[in-house]
This record gives sequence, structure tokens and C-alpha cells, in this order.
Amino acid sequence: MSTQSFAFVGKGGVGKTSLSAAFIRLLGERYPDKKILAVDADPAVGLSVALDMVPPMTVDDIRMRIAENIERGETADAVSLLSEARFHMTDCIAERGNLSFLAIGRPEAAGCYCKVNAYLKQVIEMFSDNYDFIVIDGEAGIEQINRRVMERITYLVPVSDGSRKAISVAQTIADVASRLVSCERTGMIFNRVRSGFTPPDADELPPVLAVIGDDPNQTQKDMEGESIFTLPPGSPILAGAKKALEALLGEKSESL
Amino acid sequence: MNLYKVILDSLYSLLPRQPDKSAVYSDALCAPEGDKNALLFRADTAFELGGSGKAAVESVVFGDPPQNRDEVLLYGKDLRELSDDTPFAHFTVIKLREDSDKDLRYEQLQTIAFSVFQLYPEGYHIRISPSAGREQVRVARSALEREHPLSFMNVGCSLIRLLKKHEDVESVNTVFITDQNSDYRALAELARKAKAITDTVQRTLMPDTLDCASCKMKPVCDEIEGMRELHFQKERERKRHGT
Repeated sequence: MSTQSFAFVGKGGVGKTSLSAAFIRLLGERYPDKKILAVDADPAVGLSVALDMVPPMTVDDIRMRIAENIERGETADAVSLLSEARFHMTDCIAERGNLSFLAIGRPEAAGCYCKVNAYLKQVIEMFSDNYDFIVIDGEAGIEQINRRVMERITYLVPVSDGSRKAISVAQTIADVASRLVSCERTGMIFNRVRSGFTPPDADELPPVLAVIGDDPNQTQKDMEGESIFTLPPGSPILAGAKKALEALLGEKSESL
Repeated sequence: MNLYKVILDSLYSLLPRQPDKSAVYSDALCAPEGDKNALLFRADTAFELGGSGKAAVESVVFGDPPQNRDEVLLYGKDLRELSDDTPFAHFTVIKLREDSDKDLRYEQLQTIAFSVFQLYPEGYHIRISPSAGREQVRVARSALEREHPLSFMNVGCSLIRLLKKHEDVESVNTVFITDQNSDYRALAELARKAKAITDTVQRTLMPDTLDCASCKMKPVCDEIEGMRELHFQKERERKRHGT
């Protein structure tokens, strides 16, 4: 089976991190023998708390280190740079059982890091072959995933709350993504919506996978810095994520 | 090639007279090839050579080994005898053919040295930091538990086979060191000097690099016998050809 990747994108505060963590928990429970890579592409590194995993260093730390080497004239050729990126990237991955965790870290400081980013991304793509599932908690837009993580996504999942602004952002992201990355399917999740919310009937919106109401229990756990693994199985976010996961995987889910 | 003579002399003076294990190259000894994209997970790793912050030295040196034959030498315990992360050094000594074009040989040093990055034995996950001169290796439990457990002899033979694909390579000695009592600090210093020599040769071959006053490689040129000769010979050739 080829690697199945999920990328969660959307406006800040709509619950991308919680949904990414919920998907990771559900995938781990459903497929205990499969390898999962969780990628935190949000500079806030919130997925670390949600999964209770601390990365030894971020990809940004490596980028800075390699960029310094280039400035000192130590490693400039392609072969050395790729080897350097591969060397350090291995140290970036936190592991717990079949779950690995990689944090991308802050966006670049001033200066051009295209060359280093290209090698780091190449290593992430090389390593991704080792996993059955990759779940990416993205920043608001897809550009950063495209530039810093990977160019091919199996499932793009824009997330929105019920606000017009968040829906508009999700719509724009889905539109930009269709041009920037190669993805097999796009499906939308409405999260943290008030009771009685009905998704808008807009042609431009991707198909809706799940509508999840506000989950006070999960909000409380978030406040306390508790991981997704402490939530009871029937929590609204886990139930909604399960529905979305089944809708995305569809027939594939049996063959995985 | 004498540029690395001082390195080789020091290397062999740091090693015991007899290795703990050795094997002359044989195709049959080569390790099964793995996937170049493979990542060995911690859960599947028996131990890491150079792991847990221990010494991890990597170096490719060009010159004449004591025995001009393809050979793997091990100083210390073999993979199957190790159980924890351990200090590690790996030197590859390459003798180039005398009959090959001298200039071409210099130009190929880095290309040949880079070949070590293309080695992917199954269950032996190598990662190299060229800037730090570190080589760390995660060794898979499965590689040690199979009917013919992986050994340094297998890995060394695979590396020799890879290097011998270069026409200019006459023979290869690949030296693995896991002995706890080895002087890894001195070995790391030798690796650093060897890399400086290779980098300086590359720099010398570039057409815009002949202002000694501003060249950071000058100390290497001053120290290594033959380097200045190579440097100024190149300069004279360039002047003669108007390039």
C-alpha cells in the first residue's frame, strides 16, 4: 500500500490541531501495526502537546545549522547538503511505538532558505515512504506545506468553524491547493459549530465530511494541556473525526 | 598520491598491529542491498554506532595502504558482539591507479569520496554529516537475528564493490573501529585533516582561487607536502592556457 497522507488546513483557531491529533489516535487504534508520521507544520507546535510527544529538535533548527555551515563555506555541494539534511533529520523524529513525530518549527528568518528547504523537503519525502499514514497539522495555508513538507497529499482537509470568515478562508485554501499540490481528494470538516448549524450550500466548497459541535470536555483538556489520548472514546471530536476518516478512506479502509 | 601520507602514517600508528578480524574482498561476502529511502526506527534498532553522543568518525583517505589489496579490517567488536550504542570510527583508504591521468585523479577525489554516501546495506542505516565528519549507523535487530547475521565484513565488502565501480580505484582498505580503548579524539582530528586536504584540492582546481592571502585553505597548503606544488602547477597551467 502506498502512503496515505492527510493535511489539515484552515484559519487559526478552528481546531486543526485537535482534529489532526484525533485522526492520529483513530488511525493508531484502527491500524495498530501501521506506521504513522505526525507532522506539525504549524509554528506554534501545538500538536506536540496534543500527542504528548516532544521533538528533540525542529526542522527549523536543522535549517539554521545547515545555513550556517553554508555561510562558513563548509557544505555547499548538493551531495553533502543532502547527506547533512538526512543526518540531522533522523535526530528530529520523536518516536513512540509506531507513531513518529516531526515538527517543522518557525517560519524562516530573513534570508533565502530555498536551497536548504529543498534538501530538507527531499529528505521528508524520502522518509515518508517508510510510513503508512502521514498526518500534517498545517498552518493556515497550503503554500507552506507545499514549500516545506511535501508536494503530494492524498487527502486535503480544510477545517472551518461556522463563521463566514473561516468558511471563506477554507474555500480559498481549497482553491489554491487544487493548483499547488497534487491531492486525490478534498473534504471539509466543520468544527466547533453551534447546535443547529447547517453547512452553507456553496458549489465552491469541497464535500462536507463531518460537522462537529463544540466539545466542552475537549476544550477543558486543551486548557489543561492534556493529550488527545485522554479523551473518552465517545467525545464529539473523536466521533466526528471517525466519520470524516471513514468517508475519506471509503473502500480503501478495508484493504489497509 | 602522497598528499595524505601524513594522515595514513598517523592512522596506522594509532591502530594495533593486528586487527581483531579481517577479510579479503569477496563478492559473496557483500551485504544484501537495502532501500535507499529506508528509515530504521528506534523500536527496530539494536544499537547505534556513534549513537548517544558517542564518537562517530568518518573519513575517506587516498594513498597507499600497507597491503595493496581489497580488504576489510576490524579493530574491536563485530556487530553481533555489540549490544549498546558504542563509539565508532570508519576509515576508507583508497589507492588510485598509477597509470590513470594525474589531473583526472585529482578531479575525481571528491566524486569517489562521495560514493560512501550511496551505501545502503539492508538493516544498516548509515547517516553521515560531512560538516562534522560524523558517521552514525543504526543497526537493525533483524539484521543480527537472521541466519547469516550482518557483520562489518559484509558491509565493508559492499563498500569496496561500490568504490571499485570507479575505474581509477585500484584497491580499497575499509577500516572499522569499535574498540573502546581507541583514541577517537585523535582519529577525529585525522578525519578533519583528511577532509581539509580533499577540500583544498577541490579549491585548487577551481579557476578563481589563487589569492593565497585571502584563501582560508592556506594553512592546509602550507602544512601538506605536495599541496603547494599542485596549487602552483595549476596556476602555471592556467596562465599558459590563458584561462
